Amino acid sequence: MNPLALNESGKTILAMGNDAIVRGGLEAGLGYFSTYPGTPASEIGEGFAALKKQFPHIHTEFSVNEHVAAHGAQGASWANIRSMVTMKHVGMNVASEVLHFAAYSGVKAGFVVVIGSDPGATSSTSEQDDRWYSLHTHLPILEPATIQEAKDFTIRAFELSEQYNLPVILNAPSKLCHNIGSLTLGELPREVQEKGHFERNPTRYINLFGGSVANHRRALESIDVLEKDIPSLSLNKVVPASGKTGFISSSINYLYLMEALALLDILDAPVLKIGISYPLNVKEISEFAEGLDDIIVVEELEGFLEYQIKQLLYDTEIRTPVKGKQIFPRYGELDVDIIAGALSRELGKPLPEAVGTARDSAETLTRDIPPRQGSFCTGCPHRATLYSIVKATDRKVIFAGDIGCYTLSCLPPFSAFDWVTCMNCGVGIAQGMLQKIEGEKVIAYVGDSTFFHSGIPNVINAVQQNADLVLVILDNKWVAMTGHQPSPTTNVSIHGEKLDPVDIKGLLKSIGVKYIRSIDPFNIKGSIAAVRDALRQEGGVRVIIAEQECALQYARRIKINPPEYKVYYQIEEGRCQLCNECYVDLGCPAIRKDYNETGHFYYIEEAACLRCGSCRDLCPNGAIVRTEIKLHPGTARETEKVS
Amino acid sequence: MIRYDILICGIGGQGAISLGTILKLAAIHEGLTVVGAERRGGAQREGVVTSNVRYRGLEKGEPFDERKMAVSGLIPAAGADMMISMEPLEALRHVQYLNKNSIVIINDFPLIPVSVRIGDSDYPDREEIYSRIRQVTRHVHIHNIEELSKSRFNSLKQVNTLSLGIAYAVGNMPISEESLLATVKNQFPDFEKNRAAFELGMETGRGAAR
Repeated sequence: MNPLALNESGKTILAMGNDAIVRGGLEAGLGYFSTYPGTPASEIGEGFAALKKQFPHIHTEFSVNEHVAAHGAQGASWANIRSMVTMKHVGMNVASEVLHFAAYSGVKAGFVVVIGSDPGATSSTSEQDDRWYSLHTHLPILEPATIQEAKDFTIRAFELSEQYNLPVILNAPSKLCHNIGSLTLGELPREVQEKGHFERNPTRYINLFGGSVANHRRALESIDVLEKDIPSLSLNKVVPASGKTGFISSSINYLYLMEALALLDILDAPVLKIGISYPLNVKEISEFAEGLDDIIVVEELEGFLEYQIKQLLYDTEIRTPVKGKQIFPRYGELDVDIIAGALSRELGKPLPEAVGTARDSAETLTRDIPPRQGSFCTGCPHRATLYSIVKATDRKVIFAGDIGCYTLSCLPPFSAFDWVTCMNCGVGIAQGMLQKIEGEKVIAYVGDSTFFHSGIPNVINAVQQNADLVLVILDNKWVAMTGHQPSPTTNVSIHGEKLDPVDIKGLLKSIGVKYIRSIDPFNIKGSIAAVRDALRQEGGVRVIIAEQECALQYARRIKINPPEYKVYYQIEEGRCQLCNECYVDLGCPAIRKDYNETGHFYYIEEAACLRCGSCRDLCPNGAIVRTEIKLHPGTARETEKVS
Repeated sequence: MIRYDILICGIGGQGAISLGTILKLAAIHEGLTVVGAERRGGAQREGVVTSNVRYRGLEKGEPFDERKMAVSGLIPAAGADMMISMEPLEALRHVQYLNKNSIVIINDFPLIPVSVRIGDSDYPDREEIYSRIRQVTRHVHIHNIEELSKSRFNSLKQVNTLSLGIAYAVGNMPISEESLLATVKNQFPDFEKNRAAFELGMETGRGAAR
């Protein structure tokens, strides 16, 4: 039984922050969910997808991109169904057009936008602070700190959305999304509303002929009403004390702050915990500030609270100095250590000796240890494709990178990746650059999901402008990087159910691409030849579709439906010339090194090998042997032995 | 007040995350509050994986105090009461979380990073790794848990419960053996084998602190 579906109010379960948001949606009786997957928020979509059986009335979709996902949720809200859209922080850039109109036109049923932010950018190409958007979208922001609040604030967000006729944002940083711990369940609704109804509302829904100006005014009025109500909403709380230096914080930073204060033995500091970070209530802030000598604002990334607090206090008599980003960095993640260190310097309070020693000695003790960078998974088709691209080009082309698992091609052994910014930066930047550079070839990468997200307009533009580039679509049939959500090219579900995928080739043909070739990445020789051929062609967009299912999904599939034969790849020591093609240039993690009396040798770790066969195809010495064994007891036969 | 912080580290696919899950579920079984963030981006891709396990609870009759009970998902520097590292180098990489009382359990089974494979750097000598960790804490327990699992169970599937057994024997976790075993029973198939592994782990932990 999925614990998120339990109808046991008061029971404590183990849940991830993202799970808590799912549960909040369930308890709030949501009926529509849409998302474009993105770390750290991906598990919210997976959570709803896994609950389809228990909650069949909830429409759950992995949309093509965040713009579409946000529109969908708006549509459901206008049909009077509580709706939620989730995305990672950069998804907000894509959805922002929709959301800029959302406050103007308002909601019918509660409309909640969950943003998974990524301070420290451990899974992103940017760590932008999306909270700034609200200064012009006028969408209220709730910032839960704990797993419990992630659930409880989600429910509050639906209520506020309806009460103030505005979509409400729930901002959850990765360290909350991926915090896993105790969650106490609340009640599930007794009845659910399966179908909604659209009621015309031209005043709000038609932003024409001055209607937008009137709606702009209405949105601002809604925010003003909400602002006045904040003290009665109990979303913010004060931890009182008699000290003269007060702290204001929100989100997980509040927890870091409380731990840091305890560490520094500062037990007399009043703390205002902000649960709703936009708008702020001037009365609440000034009452807290009154009589304090200093206020220190503790928040991750930019000084969003600090900016508003200073602005609010300017209109009052209170002149308490407010410090925030003078003390704490505006970039990167915060944690207890960074906050404790900064406060120790600022307030002249020493850190406990153990903490100081640990940090100093760790620096010395770990100075020279090898880093552990990521790598493609064992059996990953992208590894094979990248190997072929590097061999075909000797890296003498410009590599237009993009967002997906293939960003790992920036790392050794491939190092074939010249830029990555946002979705579809590959073709997008390349096709403009190509208008102004000469004598250089360009290979652009794009994955299947990224291509559908926003790649199609870029490719159409490249075709129309006759950009001279080779586009490699790495079609692994899933949104693999974020945990295998279906992509428009997913043709068979993991359990074998046939789906109706988009025909990429047909689509490319119809937009005017003249050169389209499919390759099987595991056929290394064929792939190298295909890349060379595409590069030799003159002018226009040439597309290579490298088609092979994500290795992790393949591995799951064969666990569910085991094949009749098991294939083994082995390195014949006598033939192996230690040329390093498989061990270094392909860099497959299943190929291992060991030592005997004559020196080192390589072998394939059977438990790790996914049987993609790339190593055998690329071995220049025919040293890798393929054996097929029937899984029924009895016969083992060597099918092919290279001579 | 009850507080106990465990940092689990390893490489994607080694089971650091599921070990953390067992320790957290056991806490809920025990009636403690538990939190802890996971770093899971590197899973399956030879990346670093960590799981923070932070137990909090009130003693009988102790009043709730927000200033003491507020707990984030990340263990601060020198804050780990225990570290379970599934890999030697990763234990050293996370040494800043240790203090002189921390109990460290290391699986003596190196996994070679890509940077070493392509010849950009060397995997440090293991004795050097361990002696550096011993500069911080003397309570270091080193066992080749993979080997132990292979030799006793002819499989790597028992590595997690073996680690759990060792950790339970050498540390002072505020949870009962019964809560741990009940959780193992719920989470893993083949309970008898896992109970045997847990017991072997306890024996190993008690026996030889190298």
